Amino acid sequence: MKLTNKFTLWYFGIMLLVLLIGGAIVYYEIQWKISKVEVVRHQRLNDLIAQQISKGGDYTNHPTRKRATITEIPADSMPKGDQSYYSRGLNWNPEFQVNEYRLVVTSFYIINGKHYRIATYSFIPSFYQLLPGVVDSFKWILLLLLILVAISGKLIPKYILSPFKRTLKVIQCFDLKRRQPIVLPETRTDEFKELNKFLKKMTDKALEDYQSLKEFAENASHELQTPTAIIRGKLELLMESDIRDDQAILIAEMQNALEKLSRIHSSLTLLTKLENKEYTAGTPVCLSALTRETLDSFEELLQMKSLTLSCHLEEKVYIALHSSLADLLLTNLVSNAIRHNIPGGKITVMLTKAGLVISNTGLAPQLPVSELFERFKKGDPASDSIGIGLAIVRQICDLMNFNIVYEYASGLHMIAISFQSSSSASKLLQNLSFPLSPVMQP
Amino acid sequence: MKVLIIEDHQELARNIHDFLAKEGYICELSCTLETAREKLGLFQYDCILLDIGLPDGNGLQLLELLRKEHQDSNVLIISARNALDDKIVGLENGADDYLTKPFHLAELHARIRAVYRRKNLGGTHMIEFNEITLNTDTFEARVGNVTLDATRKEFDLLLYFIVNKNRVLSRQAIAAHLWGDYTDNLANFDFVYQHVKNLRRKIAGAGGIDYISTVYGLGYRFDAHKHEAET
Repeated sequence: MKLTNKFTLWYFGIMLLVLLIGGAIVYYEIQWKISKVEVVRHQRLNDLIAQQISKGGDYTNHPTRKRATITEIPADSMPKGDQSYYSRGLNWNPEFQVNEYRLVVTSFYIINGKHYRIATYSFIPSFYQLLPGVVDSFKWILLLLLILVAISGKLIPKYILSPFKRTLKVIQCFDLKRRQPIVLPETRTDEFKELNKFLKKMTDKALEDYQSLKEFAENASHELQTPTAIIRGKLELLMESDIRDDQAILIAEMQNALEKLSRIHSSLTLLTKLENKEYTAGTPVCLSALTRETLDSFEELLQMKSLTLSCHLEEKVYIALHSSLADLLLTNLVSNAIRHNIPGGKITVMLTKAGLVISNTGLAPQLPVSELFERFKKGDPASDSIGIGLAIVRQICDLMNFNIVYEYASGLHMIAISFQSSSSASKLLQNLSFPLSPVMQP
Repeated sequence: MKVLIIEDHQELARNIHDFLAKEGYICELSCTLETAREKLGLFQYDCILLDIGLPDGNGLQLLELLRKEHQDSNVLIISARNALDDKIVGLENGADDYLTKPFHLAELHARIRAVYRRKNLGGTHMIEFNEITLNTDTFEARVGNVTLDATRKEFDLLLYFIVNKNRVLSRQAIAAHLWGDYTDNLANFDFVYQHVKNLRRKIAGAGGIDYISTVYGLGYRFDAHKHEAET
């Protein structure tokens, strides 16, 4: 629900409450005022009658006596305090032949030593008769307010929230990689000023951190690769000199270790770059062609290990992926399938618009398969690989929002990647009913 | 061939120097951008090895200078930064190749030769060594008059051997040359062994001399003097 709608609804609620209470107040106020006015009038009338009595004379048919009752009372029934009181209640009105509210004002006087009680009455409009009028007028007020609040609820927020909306837009367009500090619109609203200040500070900090992270990755790469290059060069020069066989073995072992070191390092740098999202997808790559190329480049290796490759490659599968990442993804997956295969084993590659499935025969993994995506986790600890290939694969998939699963069942390792983040990759494994064309047989 | 090595790490520069000196190249060293500028102003070089991260500036600046002065030296960038941007910018600004540290010296040499061939030998694609002829354009290898039935990888391997003749080539260097750096230990040594074996068999089958010999524990060597030894 939109913020402005929320505000409007709350206003409606408050208005309704205020109007209800207001209605009640108005209703009782009118009621009281009418009685009050009437009482004052009658008191004046009573006073007049008292004057007439004190003057003496016959006023029996005088208009003042029409609704007056004059009673002479004993002195002891005179009230001590107020000389006048009023009462009201429903009574029969003979003139209109209905029951109506009758207001009786009773006053006490002492005239020429005699005590009198003078009571006059009149019929006043009933409160129930007033109610519809009150309700009606409040209905109109409510309607008017509703219309005004509804209209202003649409128009005013548009004006007031416009700096907020602009800020939102700027933030949505913010991209760390572009390394552009954000420029937020000016506003006079304190809250938005504070928000903008905070956002500015936060994004600047993020940019700074991103920059230093990137610098670290690059520096680490630079500073470590150079000594490695030096050692490697020295070993190569040493190799050329006159050395004994046992020394040759030592050099070869050093070279192996060096190779591994350099590869671990470049893989880690690559992973950092992936995490920093330094690769953005450009034009979509044709995965069909790329997969075919990759498989071709591994042809010799497949032959050497006597592996049977069969595949089903759908034509024209285009994926928005950085071309070197696509290359890396396929190379890592295929090489993984080859490396962890058994002699004379099989590899199946299936590419459709929905996803990619690579399965290969192999020994049962010594770790839970889900852990194989982690860095430096190897299915076979004795193997020569550094165990980072699948971590890179997963990182690429994460980056592109691909869904990836690894399953092992009855001697078959299966890795499925779904190109749609919404559909699960394990679904791909369930309908593997494509005709497979054998590409290569040993 | 005259080579200028612009590299701020003395040890690395000396490695390159020592390696290339054995090929009979005249190498000069320069540790900073400033001295490199001076040298380029005074002398002409066939090949320039350029490091990007120099203490007094970015090596890419030199490319602009070279272009302005119309020097047609080959420029090979050697950098520890495997940043794609640098690679693209470097190649766009007139560098001929890009090599990422840590590289094998034999690889560097092969690249220098390849670049040199492309630019300086009037576009010839033929490389000859005794009875072996390689056509780098059609990837055709001949031994005497017999065309060698070699795969692309075997062709590359033979070329690598001939360029780096009389040197011990480690299996790692061969693997890196043939398959690049991507493969996580995939280009294993059995694979190199297999290729070398096939190549030797094919050369022998075509009546060529088996120049390639195994160096115990280390790798292989293309022995150019075998010819004289056998005849």
